[in-house]
Amino acid sequence: MQSLEYFLLAWTQPYLLFLVASGTFAGIYIGAIPGLSVTMAVSILISFTFKWPVNEALALISGIYLGGVYGGSRSAILLNIPGAPSAIATALDGYPMAQRGEAGAAIGLTTVMSVIGGFVGILVLAVAAPALSEFALMFAPRDYLLLAIWGILLVGALSGGSLAKGIFAGALGVLIASVGLDPMTAEPRFTFGSVQMTAGISYVAAMIGFFGVAEVLVQLHQLHAKPVKQNVSKIIPSWSLVRKHLPLSLRTSGIGVVVGSLPGAGGDIAALMAYDHAKRSVKNPTRPFGQGAQEGLVAPEAANNAAVGGAYIPMMTLGIPGDAVTAVIIGALYIHGLKPGPMLMIETPQLFWFIVGTLVLANLFLLVFGLTGIKLFAKLVETPKAILLPMILVLSAVGAYAINNNPVDVYWMLGFGVLGYFLKMYGYQVGPIILGMILGPLMDRSYRQAMISAEGKPLQFVSEFFTSPLSLAILSALILTLLSQTSVWQRWRSPA
Amino acid sequence: MPEKNTRLPGELSFTVLLLVGSLFLLAQAFGISGFESITSAGMFPMLSALVMVVTAAGVVLRTRRVAPDASDVAESLPKAFARRIVPAVFIWFTLALVAFMLLLPKLGFVISAYLFLLLSMRLLGSTRWVFNAALSAASLAVVYVIFQMVFSVILPKGTWLVGVWL
Repeated sequence: MQSLEYFLLAWTQPYLLFLVASGTFAGIYIGAIPGLSVTMAVSILISFTFKWPVNEALALISGIYLGGVYGGSRSAILLNIPGAPSAIATALDGYPMAQRGEAGAAIGLTTVMSVIGGFVGILVLAVAAPALSEFALMFAPRDYLLLAIWGILLVGALSGGSLAKGIFAGALGVLIASVGLDPMTAEPRFTFGSVQMTAGISYVAAMIGFFGVAEVLVQLHQLHAKPVKQNVSKIIPSWSLVRKHLPLSLRTSGIGVVVGSLPGAGGDIAALMAYDHAKRSVKNPTRPFGQGAQEGLVAPEAANNAAVGGAYIPMMTLGIPGDAVTAVIIGALYIHGLKPGPMLMIETPQLFWFIVGTLVLANLFLLVFGLTGIKLFAKLVETPKAILLPMILVLSAVGAYAINNNPVDVYWMLGFGVLGYFLKMYGYQVGPIILGMILGPLMDRSYRQAMISAEGKPLQFVSEFFTSPLSLAILSALILTLLSQTSVWQRWRSPA
Repeated sequence: MPEKNTRLPGELSFTVLLLVGSLFLLAQAFGISGFESITSAGMFPMLSALVMVVTAAGVVLRTRRVAPDASDVAESLPKAFARRIVPAVFIWFTLALVAFMLLLPKLGFVISAYLFLLLSMRLLGSTRWVFNAALSAASLAVVYVIFQMVFSVILPKGTWLVGVWL
């Protein structure tokens, strides 16, 4: 009964309701504008909410997250430019539909399927997370260490890029997180004699730098890409169309939740896997895949929104982010004095049910905002980058400054932004850096606790990974992830 | 994003720089507490830096093996680097950004951001000065009201302007 009370909190308080609605609205538009990612939006906006009560901050973030993941599909359909990585697969069939004059139908179908996926994800979160948090109490420090390493590895492995570059980026994030005084011994680490450095580097400044500034600089290479204007009409899909695609959307929502709940894997990977599933399983699509098949829209859109609920599961139960956005949210929870993990779920279940309530609410707002105001929207996503990019940077600077009212954070943001630009240009992912920064302190602490419990004996430390069934299971997953990147495995998996 | 079979201009130098940086960080991590204890403050940073060194070395070796992109072979490396990685717009925009960040605490948010918006919109190709000026002013007004009043963010007022206004 109390859970229901917390669940309905955001529904009954007008200000919270307003925050969820405006977060969803802003998320849709931010996610839709090419170059503005949901991670960037959450990173920038989160810095403004530090002084807010935690419920208000979470209400806004839930809306932005769900709205942003969905919003990416809009520009994928209208402009053939995915607004977010999770909408890459959507462009494959969405844009051909728009070219045939079916942009409205594509957006309507996408909206409804995203909402269905969103509900599946939230339902699984509500059912699985409380049970998992009890189970998570069994996790020893070495298990947390393994899970964190696995999370960083997964980002590198599943995104299809270079695993070595992904691991490098993750380790760099871990190292950035260790700057400052050691929390256990107060010894200075990487401070170079500077008193200011003893406080460490603000991970919010780093996030804004890597996701905001770096992305803006990369966008400078596509300044003059001219969008093709689309005719948008007939948005709301018929019930028969929704019913026809319901089985596929439920199946791909399942894929989305599972992939989303893997530490480090997010909506972008879920969407690509769901698209692949649709291609393999749908024998008679409305049109061939890649030429405007409705199934090619249904699968990735249901999956990427279902992944949102999935990504909250490891965050709430283990304190390990499901993707880059939940990594940012974990950072925000820390700043609000909360420590995500099994004890948070057990000691403050109200927070969990409040989050579930705001996600459901955001999903409903998604349906409303998704099916209205499309014509205005079509104009907005065409905002010239010459106007848009400088404004993002001004917002980024304000966001970084707002952390401590200190210009040094703005300089860090700029430095990380330029570094992030070159990393991105040369094929390094910045997601693992942020995961590394968030997981770094947990990994450092877990490593030392595990080593102390093994009486400082390296052999015993290693042997415990094999004697505990849970550790062995995570270690096996970790090794499989590594093996899956070897050429031998890839030759074995590819058809002869 | 599958691994590329060609390398971009400057990619090899960049990966070598990352390797050198990683080695420097490894030395710094060793300097924290050396091998004093297996659970010392420096042990985990040392392990992380070691991972960086190993992976960066792997990336250097791989990058060395792949050939430069065919479109870059016809021109000199600096020219190809300037065209593909650091075009003029990137350099000027980044300089404008650095100037904005440096002027932010001196001139305050409103003036420095306004100057940055005006300059950078022009740099990025928006030639309508009056429109840019009006849009910059309007958007800054919105930012100021939302963040200063709603989000309670104290925006920098500028040390050079103390006593002049505000």
